[in-house]
Amino acid sequence: MNKKIQRSLAVVSAVALVFGVASASTAQAAKQKGKVIYLAFQGPLTGEEAQVGQDEVAGVEYAIKLFNKKYKKKYVVSLVKADDQGSPAEAAKVAPGIASNAKIIGLIGAAYSGATIASLPFYKQRNLPMVSPSATRVSITDPASEGGAMGFPVFHRVVVTDKVQGPSLFKLATKGVSTPKVFIIDDQSAYGVGLVDYMKPGIPAGQSVGFDSVSDKTTDWSATIAKVKTAGANVVIYTGYFPQAAPLFKQLRDSGYTGILAGGDGVLSPTLPTLAPASVLEGVRLTAGTVPLAEISAKLEADFKKKMGKASGVYAAESIDAANVFLSCVAKGVSTRDAMLKCVKTYKGKSLAGATIKFDINGDVAGGTMNGFEVRSGVIKFTGPIK
Amino acid sequence: MIGNFFDQFWSLTFGGLSLGFIYILIALGYTLVYGVLRMINFANSEIFMVGTFATVIVVRDLFKFTQSSEYATGFRLWFILGVALIITMSVSGLLSVVVELVAYRRLRRRNSGVLAPLISAIGVSMVLAESVRIMTDSRPVASPRAMEKKFLGEFFDAGIRLDNTIIVVAALVLFFILWSFINRTRLGKAIRAVSMNPSAAKLMGIDIDKIVSATFLIGGVLTGAAGFFYVLKYENTGSSIGFELGIAAFTAAIIGGIGNIKGAFFGGLALGLLETYASFFLGTQWKAVTVFIVLVLVLYTKPSGLFGESITRTRV
Repeated sequence: MNKKIQRSLAVVSAVALVFGVASASTAQAAKQKGKVIYLAFQGPLTGEEAQVGQDEVAGVEYAIKLFNKKYKKKYVVSLVKADDQGSPAEAAKVAPGIASNAKIIGLIGAAYSGATIASLPFYKQRNLPMVSPSATRVSITDPASEGGAMGFPVFHRVVVTDKVQGPSLFKLATKGVSTPKVFIIDDQSAYGVGLVDYMKPGIPAGQSVGFDSVSDKTTDWSATIAKVKTAGANVVIYTGYFPQAAPLFKQLRDSGYTGILAGGDGVLSPTLPTLAPASVLEGVRLTAGTVPLAEISAKLEADFKKKMGKASGVYAAESIDAANVFLSCVAKGVSTRDAMLKCVKTYKGKSLAGATIKFDINGDVAGGTMNGFEVRSGVIKFTGPIK
Repeated sequence: MIGNFFDQFWSLTFGGLSLGFIYILIALGYTLVYGVLRMINFANSEIFMVGTFATVIVVRDLFKFTQSSEYATGFRLWFILGVALIITMSVSGLLSVVVELVAYRRLRRRNSGVLAPLISAIGVSMVLAESVRIMTDSRPVASPRAMEKKFLGEFFDAGIRLDNTIIVVAALVLFFILWSFINRTRLGKAIRAVSMNPSAAKLMGIDIDKIVSATFLIGGVLTGAAGFFYVLKYENTGSSIGFELGIAAFTAAIIGGIGNIKGAFFGGLALGLLETYASFFLGTQWKAVTVFIVLVLVLYTKPSGLFGESITRTRV
């Protein structure tokens, strides 16, 4: 479907809710006679990053499905989906509609940090509590950043930040290498440059042999590859996103580079294996604050597949965790934004993977781990938490 | 840094050369049309983009390669490459002819001046780029690897890779075919005649419409070949690729002197090498800046480009 049409449909459905027009799910809800509660999800549902948002929304819908079944007589939770295409510009367009719809008492998202930051002014103004499954940029919750933690008080997240990811990525990339010579390349984005900044202080003396900063429009990497070779690197870390990581990895391998290739959660995408030959990607190491559902339990993944009609994707577990924070508050009888914010602030529960979820004053999750992944025969495999 | 540069000189040069030859082929698309019509065909970049997709579709869907397929070898490899090249060149060539019919012909017949066709070409280019963007959901598209990127040998420690070699040799062959076509054949002579003086050419009985169509066809075919070589080297494409490569090739055509085949050749080579060296010396973020500083310097000293002649004397 045309993206513009899809976007306007999302807006229309949000508007319809404001004016109390019954949608299909609310009609169904009325039949069940429970109290109807509205939550919203915000993330990229169309565009280049659509897969991330679609995977997350499936996780949220799964959690809601289980909840509605359990509390059949008492509550019916209905989800409003807002498509920000992962871009700050789009986010600033959809956020006002969500913020002004007083029926929505909690927002799962936004999926991306840039979009989160662009939406925050609207949600703060209307006191809409947020729990993001995947926005990892440090500054959102960092009281030391300019103007204090910009997400305070409404923003919360169930993933650990790039402050943890940076050093973890370095650790994973150099694991098992006796004399690591690491070359680090960022993509000039806030995410990529930030990840390198958090990595730098933890790099042991003599292990770093070079840095390069390359625009995400680059298609020919020969100059960077020449630098990697001159530096004699045996580990290359790329802190950007998968569309550029694939050609970089290909061109590095084709130039005869045989060392380790690694990247952060921007590179971890189910699309990655379709962009480069399996032989090139073999052994690529990746980090992310997500745990695949199937790793938590095969039964869970099977149930997810049965209920949602597709396998779970990246950040599915975290999306379920984020939804569960709100749902447990709904179960306690919360039905306004103020009460929801209070409830989230004092929330204490368990994640699907078994870690404790509670938030500090700025909205960061206590606990939580960074996990490792490796590409084997063209499939991204979970290799466990990075310790 | 200088010492490092000499260590890497030859491998940087080989990479820059094959990129340069891709630029040359796209630049020829711009320069041929300019030579005949005195107009910039802004849709040429999207003709290139469509060409890259044609190659991907042939390799992925016609020959059923996947990211985990075995590489093709021997006769089968050359057959696949040949088929992909011919199909890509045909698709881009035909598209180029259609672009001329849609964006130029009617306006030209009504003597609409220079600006109207310019904007209609930009329009066609946007329609093509946006259509592909919607069809691919803005995602990058990769071509599965059909040919192993093996090293043929070494030259001062720099590996000579098969794909780079194919690109340089094939592009050189195409260039010399074009060269002798323009200079030795009847149609080439007619193209040159129209380029020099359209009114006189018409009085001599040359069908201008036919010549313009032929020029767009040749330009499109060469640009399509560039699309094939691009996918052979980089194995990925996307709806925005036309803009990025198109601007670079257009710059190459201007540096060399637009409207001049020799200019496109040396402009493309110079740009490919310059970009690669500049990225190594100054960092990739300075690539575009360096290129445009050089462009300004060239135009400052030679306003019509390295090989450009004054407009009235321009030869295709």
